[in-house]
Amino acid sequence: MRKTRLVAIVLLLALFVPLLQGCGGQPQGQAQEEEQKPTEVHIGVYEPMTGPSASGGQMTWEGIQLANEMYPEVLGMPVKLHLEDNKTDKTEAANAVTRLIDQKKVVAIIGSYGSSLSIAGGEVAKNKKIPVVGCSPTNPLVTQDNPYYFRVCFIDPFQGKVMAKYAYDNLGARTAVIIRNVQDDYAVGLANYFKQAFIELTGDSKSILAELEYNTGDQDFTAQLTQTASLAPDVIFAPGNYGDSALMIRQARSLKITAPFLGGDTWEAPEFIEIGGADVEGATLSTHYSVQATGTDVSKEFVDAYRAKYGKEPNAFAALGYDAYLMILDAIKRANSINPEDIRDALAETRDFKGVTGTITMDENGDANKSAVILQVKNGKFEYLTTVEPF
Amino acid sequence: MQLSRYWKRDIVILLVAAFVVAWANGDLEGLLGIPGWQSYTVRIINMCAINTVLALSLNLVNGFTGQFSLGHAGFMALGAYTTALLTMSAAAKDRVFFMTPLVEPLRKLTLPFLPSLILAGLVAGVFSLVVGVPALRLRGDYLGIATLGFAEIIRLVIQNARSVTNGALGLKGIPPVVNLWWTLGAAVLCYLMLKNLISSSYGRAFKSIRENEIAAQAMGIDLFKHKLLAFFISSFWAGVGGGLLASLLTTIDPVQFKFPLTFQVLLMVVLGGMGSLSGSVISATIVTYLMEFLRVVEETHYLGSITIPGVPGLRMVIFSLTLVLVVVWYPKGLMGDRELSAEGLKQLLARFRKAIRLKGESSS
Repeated sequence: MRKTRLVAIVLLLALFVPLLQGCGGQPQGQAQEEEQKPTEVHIGVYEPMTGPSASGGQMTWEGIQLANEMYPEVLGMPVKLHLEDNKTDKTEAANAVTRLIDQKKVVAIIGSYGSSLSIAGGEVAKNKKIPVVGCSPTNPLVTQDNPYYFRVCFIDPFQGKVMAKYAYDNLGARTAVIIRNVQDDYAVGLANYFKQAFIELTGDSKSILAELEYNTGDQDFTAQLTQTASLAPDVIFAPGNYGDSALMIRQARSLKITAPFLGGDTWEAPEFIEIGGADVEGATLSTHYSVQATGTDVSKEFVDAYRAKYGKEPNAFAALGYDAYLMILDAIKRANSINPEDIRDALAETRDFKGVTGTITMDENGDANKSAVILQVKNGKFEYLTTVEPF
Repeated sequence: MQLSRYWKRDIVILLVAAFVVAWANGDLEGLLGIPGWQSYTVRIINMCAINTVLALSLNLVNGFTGQFSLGHAGFMALGAYTTALLTMSAAAKDRVFFMTPLVEPLRKLTLPFLPSLILAGLVAGVFSLVVGVPALRLRGDYLGIATLGFAEIIRLVIQNARSVTNGALGLKGIPPVVNLWWTLGAAVLCYLMLKNLISSSYGRAFKSIRENEIAAQAMGIDLFKHKLLAFFISSFWAGVGGGLLASLLTTIDPVQFKFPLTFQVLLMVVLGGMGSLSGSVISATIVTYLMEFLRVVEETHYLGSITIPGVPGLRMVIFSLTLVLVVVWYPKGLMGDRELSAEGLKQLLARFRKAIRLKGESSS
């Protein structure tokens, strides 16, 4: 028994040895070699591959991998991807980015699904002066005060405004009730900007009849919905997770609430329709991308390649991952350099980049100025309604 | 006096170890807190030190006093938010609170890091008294449930009090003051304080409460007072740990402080040994380090023409297997309730040497 314990202790200690070797001299030596003669371009990816947001991270990673297979070279050098899992955890996200920069010597980073993870990773990248392109973090705080963070998606304020405009123009709504998930930064942001835009459009500060709240995982929405029913709004704006929202819409229909439900891109999941069934028919949401909306060659190429590789329809997150990778490659080409500072400057100057999810122009914050797509559930499927250009 | 010499030795060993590791990695810069961002290794050492503070403080309540508390994440959240709100500059606050403005006295208030950190500990401590007075009347599982509930309440309040905490959006732009001096300093200070406490009459009272409450009471120990004291000190350090974490990450949000965080700290305590300070230090270091080290197994490896694709999540599998093995070999944790001391190490070495000598003799 004592011997086995000794073996265990020795094994544990042995685990520490690579720390000394691995992080010590070796990478520095590598770095010196690379400075003399760069032969590969290293791009890092940090995504939640495990934990609560794993599905989002995996979808994005599929898109990035596809892009890497189709465009494996830049400036005549092969591009090597390094994936780090951040476990849907802030501390891990910061660690992952530090590891990518320190040990993998990446020149640019892609990630991450989940805004809070992106903020934590972005702070590290900012201090180490390595550019990051986010695929789907929509919280305005991600790029705020961080010149090294960019993103290929639009932000919550825009999405909220888009839905307010749609409700006002297309549905002729003049009153609305907001039911939001108060635990979700995304839902809170969307609701806030929907409110602002809707009040601006109607010119009536009382056009938002009520702002009601719930928490992730709530099962019973009767209290919020009874109040909504008594107010009889023209539309209900209910940003939140697909699961909670689908459940809420079912309960609303059984309470004979007929007002249309509007939401954001998180609704776009097969589970939304599975849980909601016939009750979510007519639910309308804004998102980044739709297969049906494709017109450009870029998106056709992506859709075909994605179907061929994975044998299923591509989703918005894969498309955003694909765009993030190609935007970095585009920046490297324009900069004609793999120096992180040059790549950052080139990224900041991105104008009219033709991506799968639309034409992207970087604004002064590093946020993408691009169009949104509006989808509606029809016959158990997400059907394309219209595209809203930035305004 | 005999004991204090050992402590000094412990500190010296700890500092020398930290220096050697950092020097070996060419990161003396980061270690000394000289400008320049901290590297990967320094980051891991920082996390080890912060986790050590958290594990030590939870061990005081769960291991030494025998009160099963699960409220650590809540106290960390209090500490983290206090530190963040007190150290952020007014400009940074205005930028972050773009939806709901921050309430007035806090908006302009900016304090240096050290007082903020101490206040963070005190805020967590005061709240621990608020929850401790009713909850510590409970025992065993009931106390666990009550403290777990309290931690969730804190998180939900933080989530909803948008004009103070920015709600679900979280905070960013917390000044990155923390370096190895702060984290290791806090870890050493916490270790010394608890070691002193444990070997004082209070510490003996804590242990007697753990062993048998009725017997302790019969010996004239004020159960309630001692439990509350342990709870207060534990929460104070949890708050400090949370504050250090906030400054290290420079960003916090309420989701971070869900109950899995408590379990992570509890895991370190149990793995190291309930009622062993050095056990908590060792296991906090091992757990933190192992999670980062195991990233290697998730990477794609190229062995000549063979490519082994990386599998995300594999490190969790290996980590869990390691845990199972440790539990099989060390049912009471790595250290049980013993302590690692210079004297003990010497004895271990002597025994080891003797064993080798005996083996050498028998083979010759």
